[in-house]
Parts: sequence; C-alpha cells; structure tokens
Amino acid sequence: MSGDPVLEVEDLRVRLRTPRGPAEVVNGLSYTVGAGETVAVVGESGSGKSVSVLALLGLLPARVATVTGRALLQGEDLLTMPPERLRQVRGPGAGMVFQDPMTSLNPVLTIGRQLVEGIRAHGDVSKSAARTRAAELLREVGLPDPEKALDRYPHELSGGMRQRVVIAIALSNSPSLLIADEATTALDVTVQAQIIDLVEKLQAEHGTGVIWITHDLGVVAGIADRVLVMYGGRCVEDGTVDDVLERPAHPYTRGLLGSLPDLAAPAGPDGEVPELTTVPGLPPPPTDLPPGCVFWPRCPVRADPRCETEQPPLAVVSRAAAGATASGALEEGSRLPHRAATWCTEGGQG
Amino acid sequence: MNDRSASDVLVSARGLEVHFPVGGRGLRGRGGGVLRAVDGVDLDILRGETLGLVGESGCGKSTLGNALLRLVPPTGGTVTFDGADVTSLDRRGLKEMRRRAGMVFQDPFASLDPRRTVAQTVSEPLEVHGLRSGKRERAARVGELLELVGLDPAVAGRYPHEFSGGQRQRVGIARALAGEPDFLVCDEAIASLDVSVQAQVLNLLRRLQRQLGLTLLFISHDLSAVRHISDRIAVMYLGRVVEIGPAAAVGRDPQMPYTQALLSAVPVPHPAQERARKRIVLTGDVPSPSAVPSGCRFRTRCPYVFEPCDDVDPALHAAGAPGQLAACHLHGVVGTPVTRTPEGVTADP
Repeated sequence: MSGDPVLEVEDLRVRLRTPRGPAEVVNGLSYTVGAGETVAVVGESGSGKSVSVLALLGLLPARVATVTGRALLQGEDLLTMPPERLRQVRGPGAGMVFQDPMTSLNPVLTIGRQLVEGIRAHGDVSKSAARTRAAELLREVGLPDPEKALDRYPHELSGGMRQRVVIAIALSNSPSLLIADEATTALDVTVQAQIIDLVEKLQAEHGTGVIWITHDLGVVAGIADRVLVMYGGRCVEDGTVDDVLERPAHPYTRGLLGSLPDLAAPAGPDGEVPELTTVPGLPPPPTDLPPGCVFWPRCPVRADPRCETEQPPLAVVSRAAAGATASGALEEGSRLPHRAATWCTEGGQG
Repeated sequence: MNDRSASDVLVSARGLEVHFPVGGRGLRGRGGGVLRAVDGVDLDILRGETLGLVGESGCGKSTLGNALLRLVPPTGGTVTFDGADVTSLDRRGLKEMRRRAGMVFQDPFASLDPRRTVAQTVSEPLEVHGLRSGKRERAARVGELLELVGLDPAVAGRYPHEFSGGQRQRVGIARALAGEPDFLVCDEAIASLDVSVQAQVLNLLRRLQRQLGLTLLFISHDLSAVRHISDRIAVMYLGRVVEIGPAAAVGRDPQMPYTQALLSAVPVPHPAQERARKRIVLTGDVPSPSAVPSGCRFRTRCPYVFEPCDDVDPALHAAGAPGQLAACHLHGVVGTPVTRTPEGVTADP
C-alpha cells in the first residue's frame, strides 16, 4: 500500500499574528505520506487542517505567519527552501486542488491557456507540444471533446467539469504528491463520486501520494488508507481508516462520528430514527487554547484529573481500550499504529 | 395521493410551474429561451409532517420552496395553503399567509441584518403582525423565542457578528418562529454549518417540529440529513418530483433509477461498507433546465432506458412500498405521450 515516503512532516507548527494576539493554528503535526497512499486530514472549520498544507507549500503570507518544523518532500525540506526552488518544486513535486473550482481558475483565460502555462513553466516544451499534452490531460480526466474544451472559458463548464480541469492542471507535471483541500465539497454527490473515482484511478496509475483534506467522514471512509483527526490545531487521533472510523479512541472523534446522521440507520421501536448525539459548544479560539487537553472544555468524558491541566501526548491506543474484538488482532505486525492524544483511554495513560 | 381528505393537507401544489425567460435580447428578453426551474410539480404536504426535498444543485428545489410561499410567482399551476389559493391572495391574505408560513435560509451570515440586534431582528415579525402590543411584551416574547431555540435570552442585545454560524442559524429560526407559523420551509438550513453543529440544529428542528406541531419542508442536498429528519422524502430532478414516499422506504428501497444512483453516491462513514459498495456512477451532466429532454427527463443519463422513455412523459404512480410513488416506466408505462411536430417535440396538454 505505501512505498517510500513522499512527504515526511515533523513537528509542524504555524503561528499567525492576528489583531487578537498570536494564534497557534497548528501545534506540532507529524505524519508521512507514502507513494500511492492516501492520507485524509479531517476536522471542522478552524481546526488548522487547511493552514497546515498551505504552510507546507509556502502559501501563507510571511508577514503574518511563522512556520517551524520540518517537511521533507522526497528528502528536500520545503520549509527552508529558497523561494526560487520552492516555485520549481510546486508543479512537479506537489499539485494542489482547492475547494472552489470557479475561484481557482482564471475566468478571463481559456482552459487551454491555463494548462499550457502550467506545463511550460516546468519544462522546456514548445507551445504546440504543450497544447497536445493539455488535450491529453483533459482526456485523462474525462472531459468530453478535449480539443474543443481547450478553447473554452471556465464559465462555460459545469462545476464538476471545472474541478476536472483543476485536477488536470494539478497533475500536468506528474507530481509525486497531490493535495486536495475540500476538493469535492462544492460538488453534488453524484459528481463527487465521479471525481473520487477519477483521483483513485490516476493515483493507481501514477503512484501519487495524496493528502485529502475534508470534513466529510463518509468520503474519508471511501478513499483513505490513513486518517488524521485534527482539533484545535493538534492531531488528536491517527491510524488506519478502519481503526479511526470503526474503533475511535478520542472522545472528539467519537462525538464527531456520533453526530453524523446515518443513511442506513435502523428506526427505533417507535418507528423513529434515534436523536443524534451532539458535541455541545464550540471549538476553542486558536488565540486562547486550553492548557490541558484541547477538547477538555467540550469533553463529555473527562476521566482523568490531568485532562484539565496537562497536554496528553499522542500515544498508541491499546486495542482493548478502543473496543477492538479478538477477530481484529490478525496481522498485528504489519499494522500502522493507532494513536490518540487523550488521557481518557488506557493508551493515553500507558 | 387522492385518498387523503383535504383537511390532512396543509400545502398543496398542482401542475406547478416556474419558468424564467433566459438569453433573449433587450430588457424583456424577447426571442430567448425558457428555463424550466419548476416544471409541473404535484405535491401534497401533510399537516404536522416533515417532508424532505432532495435533489442536486439546479434541480429546482429552492425555487419550488420559494414558489410554495409565493416568494417567486408561479407561471402555471396552483398552490393552495390550508385550502386557500396562494396565487390569488390579496394583500391582507398574503400578509396573513406570510405570518403562518416562515422560512429559514441557508446562510446565517447573509440572512441576518448586521446592523440590527438579535432582539430587533426577532421582534420585527411581532410588530409587523401586531402579535404583541407594547415594548415590554415584545421583549418578553423575544426572550421566550430565544430560549425555545436554545439561546440565552441575555444575548438579545447583541449583533450577529458576535455569534458563531450555529448560533446565528438559531437566531434565524427564532425569527421564523416569531409569527407562530404552521409551516416552515428550511432551505439548506444546515448546509453552511460544521458537522457537530449540524447535528445540534437538526435535533433542534426536530424537537421544535414535535413541540409546536409544525409542518416542515426540509430542503437539502444532504440525503443522510434528510433521511434523518423526514417522515417522507420527495426527490427532484430537472424541475419535477420524480419520486416521493415514506422516508424509510425511499431510503432503503428507491424505485426510480435516479434516486438509486443518488443514494448509491452518498458516502457513509464505514470503511468496510464503502469498500464493498457498488456505486452507480451516472455518466454525463444534468441537462440544462432550458433544454429538458422529451419524454422522461432522466432518460439521457438512465442506465435502464428503454423504448417508451422517449415517447411518454412519466407521471408519478404507485411503486414499491405503500405510499411510495415514482415517475418511471419500469413500474408500468403511465404518463403523457409526447407529440412530435415539425417544429419540435412538445408534451400533450
């Protein structure tokens, strides 16, 4: 499933200067993305998930953002790279797909022109060769009549087709890493299914590592190998998709999963679907994080006195604590660790 | 649909059409085409039920919600609200209907006036409809309403920017409830909220519906949320209701191929289920509502398309569970034959 790591992030921290004082938006994030692997980063708005990838690619304004830590893209540190080198790396190294395909495309340039620009910026290619390559890319992402589409403007395409164009641009230099930030959030479910299929197909063909940022745990279940749950700028839980979604260990992850309406939920004895469990309250502002566990102010468990005062480390969850059954114990050695940052399980205490 | 007595039905649409002129020249748009946002909808909303209305963007679900409240004028068909024809109401009748039918909008950032306090926003309907005379009575009622939606009455003096999205949506709901309505249209009311906050608002709406005996039209693209909150679900495609029925039946055993595809595309948060799932991936895009296909409007994307689909515009008829209706020839060819003329294709009147 995962080959050599494409990206290794170590202790990434982002601090932003705001009118309300310094905001600690990302606090010590570490993860790796292997070739051909999909890592999903989930969390609600303000959890720091988008800022963490913007920081990787040097897309945060230096005036307000302080980024520390290490982020090795195929061995090269993105965070200490000179801007000139970073610009070279962005296309062939890491492609990015943003949420809104209308705002990530230039409305006054044809699609062909935008694709050709990307291709020629990173390779010594003639205009006509770049155009041929652009048409190929559009065919690859499933745009009907690609030759004609090159001469069209973004507004002439539907939302799903526009997002395909954005993906084509992101893939135009065959990056080893693709970052999709809420890439299907603005799309209808049927179109979302098409785009997910497309990314999975392209990933299988090219062995691209994918970081998929989303708040939609349903999408995560379908595409991710590994999941990282963010809350208050910290990773509060990570592990394989099965561990995190089926045996969540952190009270926040449990709350998040419990608050999802289930399409297949069986009706209760009175013929009613049971009420959703909710996480009361709101996430803490990044300018004023609690001293202990970031989730403490909203946590329904609070099983340990340290919860309020001491930050829990990200520690391996014991299988019993996460409610695993005996049948889940096979292939123990090859499994990725399932970790959670909480004092409320045996894993946290051990 | 016909076996219900009229008193069970609060809101009813018959052959409802909302067509917009598009692409013409000049101010009057002469010579342009017609965008069929709502194109022949028959719908009954029963007293005290929550009807979920789902469909993809551009299917006309918001326009239908607006047309039911006469926020956009229908270009054809009828809407009745509690027995009265909504399209022919005079000013007084319309004002009374506005009190009895409220709306909760999608974006709580855009739907509240940033320069008015919560108290001003929530008490406006009280003044307009003369429901409470005197400042003190109104203030007391505002406090009650805020409590009803789970806000501290002490926040009445604050401005919208001081609230989070979920709290603002609660203010929007409090305002919609101020006129003591019978009917509430919630148009994508949870779409702009975070997952954990969505659950809070869904629970609130369900509790209010029970407590106040409201009739709810819950418009959303989120099938899981609709399935959760609704008694019945109606599915729209290109301006038409193509399937309707009890929420459990439509959710478990959809009869219209479009509903089947839509449901199969909804991701669920269970990895094993997701891996095992067979998605029905529809090819192509939704046709433009200004060029609706003849016959069945889903035929251009339907995996089961067969001979009558070109020629007969399917009507909603019984399919699947009791109370479930689908507009699909797979359950028997029922509908209006298409006439072909040299000028083009039209449906028989």
